[in-house]
Amino acid sequence: MDFILHDKETIAEMLTSIGVNSLEELFQDIPVDLLLKKLNLPHGLSEPDLLRRFEELSHKNKIYSSSFLGAGCYYHYIPSLVDFVISLSGFYTAYTPYQAEASQGYLQAIYEYQTAITRLTQMDVANASVYDGSTALAEAAIMATVATQKKKIILLEGIHPEYVEVVKIYCWGQDIHFEIVMEDTLISKLDESVAAVLFQSPNFFGDIENVTELVQIIRDKAPKCLVVQVMTDPTCLGVLKPPGKSDIDIFVAEGQSFGISPSFGGPGLGIFTSKQNYLRKMPGRLIGKTNEIDGEREGFILTLQTREQHIRREKATSNICTNQALCALASLIYLVSLGKSGLREIAFQNFQKSHYVKQKLETIPGYQILNKKPTYNEFLVKCPNINELIEQCKQENLLPPLIISKYFPNMKNIALVCVTESNSREDIEKFIHAAQKASKKNMGGN
Amino acid sequence: MTSNLTLIFNKGTKRSQHNFIPEMDIDRADLTEIIPSSFQREDLPLPDIPEVEIVRHYTELSRRNYGIDSGIYPLGSCTMKYNPKINEVITRLPAFSHIHPLQEENQGALELIHQLSEMLIEITGMDGFTFQPAAGAHGELTGILIMKKYFENKNLKKNKILIPDSAHGTNPSSAKMAGFSIIEVRSNDAGEIPLDHIEFAMQQGDIAGIMLTNPNTLGIFDRQIKDITNIIHKYGGLCYYDGANLNPMLGICRPKDMGFDIVHLNLHKTFSTPHGGGGPGSGPVGVTKELVSYLPDPSIIATEQGFVCREKTNNSIGRIKCFWGNFGVIVRAYAYILALGAEGLKRVGQIAVLNANYLRVLLKEKYHLPYDRICQHEFVLSDRGIENDITTEDIAKRILDYGLYAPTIYFPLIVKGAMMIEPTETESKASLDNFVEVMIKIYDEIKTNPDLLKNAPHNTPVKRLDAVLAARKPILRD
Amino acid sequence: MDLKFPADLKYAPTHEWVRMGGDIATVGISDYAQHKLGDIVYVELPEIGAVLEKGSVAGEIESVKAVSELFMPLTGEIVETNGNIADNPAFLNSSPYGEGWIMKIKVSNPDEIKNLLSVEKYQELIEKEED
Repeated sequence: MDFILHDKETIAEMLTSIGVNSLEELFQDIPVDLLLKKLNLPHGLSEPDLLRRFEELSHKNKIYSSSFLGAGCYYHYIPSLVDFVISLSGFYTAYTPYQAEASQGYLQAIYEYQTAITRLTQMDVANASVYDGSTALAEAAIMATVATQKKKIILLEGIHPEYVEVVKIYCWGQDIHFEIVMEDTLISKLDESVAAVLFQSPNFFGDIENVTELVQIIRDKAPKCLVVQVMTDPTCLGVLKPPGKSDIDIFVAEGQSFGISPSFGGPGLGIFTSKQNYLRKMPGRLIGKTNEIDGEREGFILTLQTREQHIRREKATSNICTNQALCALASLIYLVSLGKSGLREIAFQNFQKSHYVKQKLETIPGYQILNKKPTYNEFLVKCPNINELIEQCKQENLLPPLIISKYFPNMKNIALVCVTESNSREDIEKFIHAAQKASKKNMGGN
Repeated sequence: MTSNLTLIFNKGTKRSQHNFIPEMDIDRADLTEIIPSSFQREDLPLPDIPEVEIVRHYTELSRRNYGIDSGIYPLGSCTMKYNPKINEVITRLPAFSHIHPLQEENQGALELIHQLSEMLIEITGMDGFTFQPAAGAHGELTGILIMKKYFENKNLKKNKILIPDSAHGTNPSSAKMAGFSIIEVRSNDAGEIPLDHIEFAMQQGDIAGIMLTNPNTLGIFDRQIKDITNIIHKYGGLCYYDGANLNPMLGICRPKDMGFDIVHLNLHKTFSTPHGGGGPGSGPVGVTKELVSYLPDPSIIATEQGFVCREKTNNSIGRIKCFWGNFGVIVRAYAYILALGAEGLKRVGQIAVLNANYLRVLLKEKYHLPYDRICQHEFVLSDRGIENDITTEDIAKRILDYGLYAPTIYFPLIVKGAMMIEPTETESKASLDNFVEVMIKIYDEIKTNPDLLKNAPHNTPVKRLDAVLAARKPILRD
Repeated sequence: MDLKFPADLKYAPTHEWVRMGGDIATVGISDYAQHKLGDIVYVELPEIGAVLEKGSVAGEIESVKAVSELFMPLTGEIVETNGNIADNPAFLNSSPYGEGWIMKIKVSNPDEIKNLLSVEKYQELIEKEED
């Protein structure tokens, strides 16, 4: 199949208008030896054949009835209107709103997104989004070095290991010094040369930091150092104190939890916010509200574009060009669909259900919860036999938790469990049952 | 004329109950036992609006927005082609949309990425691909970091890079993010790159290579492309292909055969995935054999036991994004390639170029065409000869009044008052003729009624907006 | 173009003007520079107390679609900047030689002053640029 609208006659007519004899002649600038003889690909497929092919392929992936896996990608219920709205062709077939007057719908929606995110986080400014949580954190690190004119950043242990790798590669690109430290040595590492401290909370292991206190400790030792917080599941902000109330300088998050399907880990949404002082150093697009030149009405427009690559070129903070507009729109719809009371309730249920599972697991011989700090929907549990737990979960048709040694080889027999509002009581009972069976098996029972 | 639309936050109606919260089916503990109250927020200033209101609000907003489903979207270098609807169905199949990036039973996903990789290898001639980059600019950064690592491994200090003045703005910006400084190459009168400049620059010894797009942003295929890449290679440099303009080359000519070592593609341009108002995109990067081991981790390998994921390779630059890249976009691009097949893809290249040249010959009758020769996917008009103080921006705004979208304006920078036009292959002759007719009408209006342009647009939901006010007193949220 | 270039000022080839008063140089951008940039929306001022070389970048001037660097016309210490233009960058357009002044420099090498351009020389330079 194809999506060409001309028949042979039309093509001939157009060629005549152009003044050439054949389609081939349009490629006269290409040296003959560079012309491709034949593209060695299969014939095209019709829609039904295509669909069948993909259905077959997709069946090689397994879908579970319920998930206990998180680690940066989460299963939350997505209201059906989210997909409906992002499928409206005025949104999904649009380009970047360069011509503001013909793009008011999208511009307003993204302005609403920026508003929703600042209200949620209580930060001063939110941009129109960046690629995902990991690149948002890397961009935040770069932005901090630009804002402070210093070339060293510190990462606190507990950041998603894949995020750490991304920050590392961005830093390597610009010769920024990079160090990961444990919480108890943080103070000793802080001095005048540090541009920023980056930390995650709730962190990769589930711990919720006392953010206000942490910021204060850093400020006392290094007043000019920026404090950057990252989050992988910001639904917790339905209950938790927002970063803007803890004096955070730059706050970033993965926004996939807000109405975006897991989709094998992408696309997601890089939520990016900061204090007002750093606005001019912020990467990415910003939508502003303005007025008609000769009129009364308000409207929306891309603004402060001089920060961006297409004007500032090599002097721009970032090379980012796109945002994740459609994902930002999805998250906006998610946030307004749930609203104040709904988001609170979602966060509440996540706290409650994971707490419930934690308590249940601790009653089973051999399991030990390792978190010393409060947790949200993820926590670490030491297992009597982790492989058996994984196996039992699969038998119950549950997506098993993460074996954390995948990222931290020294952490043996430890699972990172994620429980959200999407796990029903029945799912939870099955999981507990799987854990019990794994425990018994390990002790020689069955 | 429509009036201003209230922000969603200011809708009056409140809902009485929740549609999206599952019933709480376990006993509730006291929340402060789980999380201290000092860790909790006091207020959450989000609205509580009924579902019907939300749907109506955003349906109205979507009407106030032009999309490719509305009509021609002639933005140069953006390749705004039709987004096939079947791709939306396919990417939403539950066993694609609902799988976790860290789950073990993922053979379908790995196979899909691997197969798409094989196909892009055939289309570009390269030897290996990564799908981690989330967009074109992200692909550029990945590609340039590969260059950096390559020279680091060879212990060669090459910290500069050649970029033509016609390049996309992301090129210099991406190169800088990888720590390179930029040497700009000036195009000659034919819009091509002077070989002697390249030769001279490369003799200095500290240049890592060149970033090029071919056809370039003038829509011109550089006839000496092979000589350019040969010179770069002669001095040990690498050649980077910005694939933003690959569409007209589909089935016609391959970046590898032109002599490129690294290429990024924009799946959201060439391979029909929706632009979504500015994302999500996908910017896979392909490289030649010598550089395959430098691609980001992890890589997918086909074995007899199925597809496996190799976590770390020695030369790899590392990881440029969490997980596997924008999988949802990757699925759509693969569906597009399978749907079109070899013949369909070649036809894309041919008709994209046919459509662009058709517009070019009809529009140059009225508007100044600084590089007057056969173009590829796009061409650039200038504002020379436009009278009555009318600017390119005025023309763009007037186009909106006719219910169409404007070309890319004021880019490339090397053309004064540029209008860069790329119709793509998915426009009918009638649609192209209509665009020409509008452009000619506007040309006449410039002479007969310039005020109509100066105050344009008139028929859009708002009149021309004050960009100066927006930048002087930024209001970025309510 | 109806642009004004006061004869009592000195000019730098990078389009700054200089008004000397004792060892203090008041600096702004010329009518030509503001006209070229268009509506100015933001000025990034140097830090007070900074000592900068002639020709080095002291700040940035932004219009909606362009960024231009502000260069030091003379070597010296920044002793004062015009706080009013932070809130009203339009002064650079409406009154480039008055309310739109940008910074005051305590000149450390008075010999450099004679290398600045006279109004005649500066206008010649502009004519050349316009060709």
